[in-house]
Amino acid sequence: MAATLTAGAPARPRKLLASRRTRVGILYALPVVVYLLVLFVYPIFSTLLLSLKDADGSFTLHWYADALTGVNLSVLFTTLRISAETAVLSLVFGFVLAQAISRLKPVWAGLAMLVVVVPHFVSALVRTYGWIIMLGDRGLVNEWLPGGPYQLLYNELGVVIGTTSMMLPYTVLLLYGVMRGVDRRLLAAAASMGAGRVTIFRRVYLPLVAPGLASAGLLSFILSLGYYITPALMGGPNQTMIATLINQQVTKENQWNGAAAQGVILLVLTLAGLLLVKVVSSLGASRRRRNGS
Amino acid sequence: MMELRKTLTGKIALTAVATVILLFLALPIVVILVTSFSNNAFASFPPDTWTLNWYKALFADGSKWPAALSLSALVAALSTVFSLIIGVTAATALVRSELPLRSAVFALVLGPLLIPQIVTALGLFLLFEPAAMLGSPIAIALGHTVLASPIAVLILIATLRGIDERLEDAAASMGAGRLTIARRITFPLAAPGMIAAAIFSFITSFDEFYISQFLSSVDTVTLPVQVYNSLTFEIDPSVTAVSAILIAFAILALGLVALVRWLGSGRQESLLSVENTVGVANPAGDAV
Repeated sequence: MAATLTAGAPARPRKLLASRRTRVGILYALPVVVYLLVLFVYPIFSTLLLSLKDADGSFTLHWYADALTGVNLSVLFTTLRISAETAVLSLVFGFVLAQAISRLKPVWAGLAMLVVVVPHFVSALVRTYGWIIMLGDRGLVNEWLPGGPYQLLYNELGVVIGTTSMMLPYTVLLLYGVMRGVDRRLLAAAASMGAGRVTIFRRVYLPLVAPGLASAGLLSFILSLGYYITPALMGGPNQTMIATLINQQVTKENQWNGAAAQGVILLVLTLAGLLLVKVVSSLGASRRRRNGS
Repeated sequence: MMELRKTLTGKIALTAVATVILLFLALPIVVILVTSFSNNAFASFPPDTWTLNWYKALFADGSKWPAALSLSALVAALSTVFSLIIGVTAATALVRSELPLRSAVFALVLGPLLIPQIVTALGLFLLFEPAAMLGSPIAIALGHTVLASPIAVLILIATLRGIDERLEDAAASMGAGRLTIARRITFPLAAPGMIAAAIFSFITSFDEFYISQFLSSVDTVTLPVQVYNSLTFEIDPSVTAVSAILIAFAILALGLVALVRWLGSGRQESLLSVENTVGVANPAGDAV
């Protein structure tokens, strides 16, 4: 009992206590750091190394040249195009939905958020399968649309519909948070100075949510870049994306070096996107400071 | 935003468009649930006749689903244990200690959530292939933990931040040792967060596809990989039944998290009120 009393008593010199807290911190941080260094950082580093090696182990940029020419280059462009289309659509849908939800009474807003969140936790494979059933020649959508059946699957339209529905929960959740963060007094202030609704929207509201919009759009773009469940199942041969190519090179062609180069390109694109998100959000932070909220 | 476009027609238009978008999110799931009971699993909707055949087919002789399901459950259980160990220790380090390079550690934790999963999967393949560990449940679980543990860490950071440290100080002032404090104060308060972290780790691993696909072998295939294979290479209508079960599973897990959160929400308040009635010094009693 005496020992526990002294252990708990705050009578120790401050310095000693601090260094104990530091030692405890390092000890407790070890599992996550060691784990991620061995199973995350090192594997990515060896991917990078592999992409720069030739069959005989010598240094080469051949795999990058290969990844950036011919069919592989067009796969890269397809990936960028589909990701951009998905990002724009999920941003627009996300904006409208978040806007509508932010106006609802709490109970209805909660229910609507449930419809956003529950699909997000259902396996993407399952949701993709749902789309395949819905968009087929005799599926729900073609039954409802007059003048059909339309070709809604195994083309870019199908891929973009499917991928957008996968990214939409992210943008809705992000934008909903941003919209709730807007200081409504700023809008009221603008109105009291005689600004019309359109002017308030354009000059006050939009600039306030713009950084959030940019981040949400970039995020869905980044997440789409490395995605292939939906494109592979809902697209045709013209919708092959980088991730599918990586998978094919490893599992079908046993071509690790090429896959590694593709992986590094994907990684670089992602990191560039993340850097942009960081720049945009720090711009947003400084704008909020200027507005004094 | 209430100030803008307040007209009735505008309101109706916005509500209509929002409803369509919500349907866009929900319909694929509803369609799967309905189709899993339909006699005609690949075509018309709504179905003409109803059946339980696809569910029965899951457990028929020669079905691949039971093996895939049990492998996924085993892998997810292992991954949950790994993630909780990593999550609890990492959150303690990040919230309750003076950690050098804290922001670097935090960035490392976020890394797997931001890097494309296919890149992580490729890297893990390069790690486990030479070790001849492809198809091993341990290897797949270790791989899944890379994605599941950051989520566990984030949930547990939020949990620890939400625990009032004065409760622990109060216990210490009454002579409780560190172990007693951890066992009687911190652990009960952190339990809802730990259960939530465990559930999310389990779902993350159970649904994970990219890493599983790279680390699977011909004989050991996780449930998502089997679903993918059934959708690409084989024609197996019982995949609708599996999908419906996965949907039920996701809803159940989310409901469980909500329930645990709700049950746990009153705990700290009740402890604090006990603290007050027992008469322990509470320097900021009015703020509680």
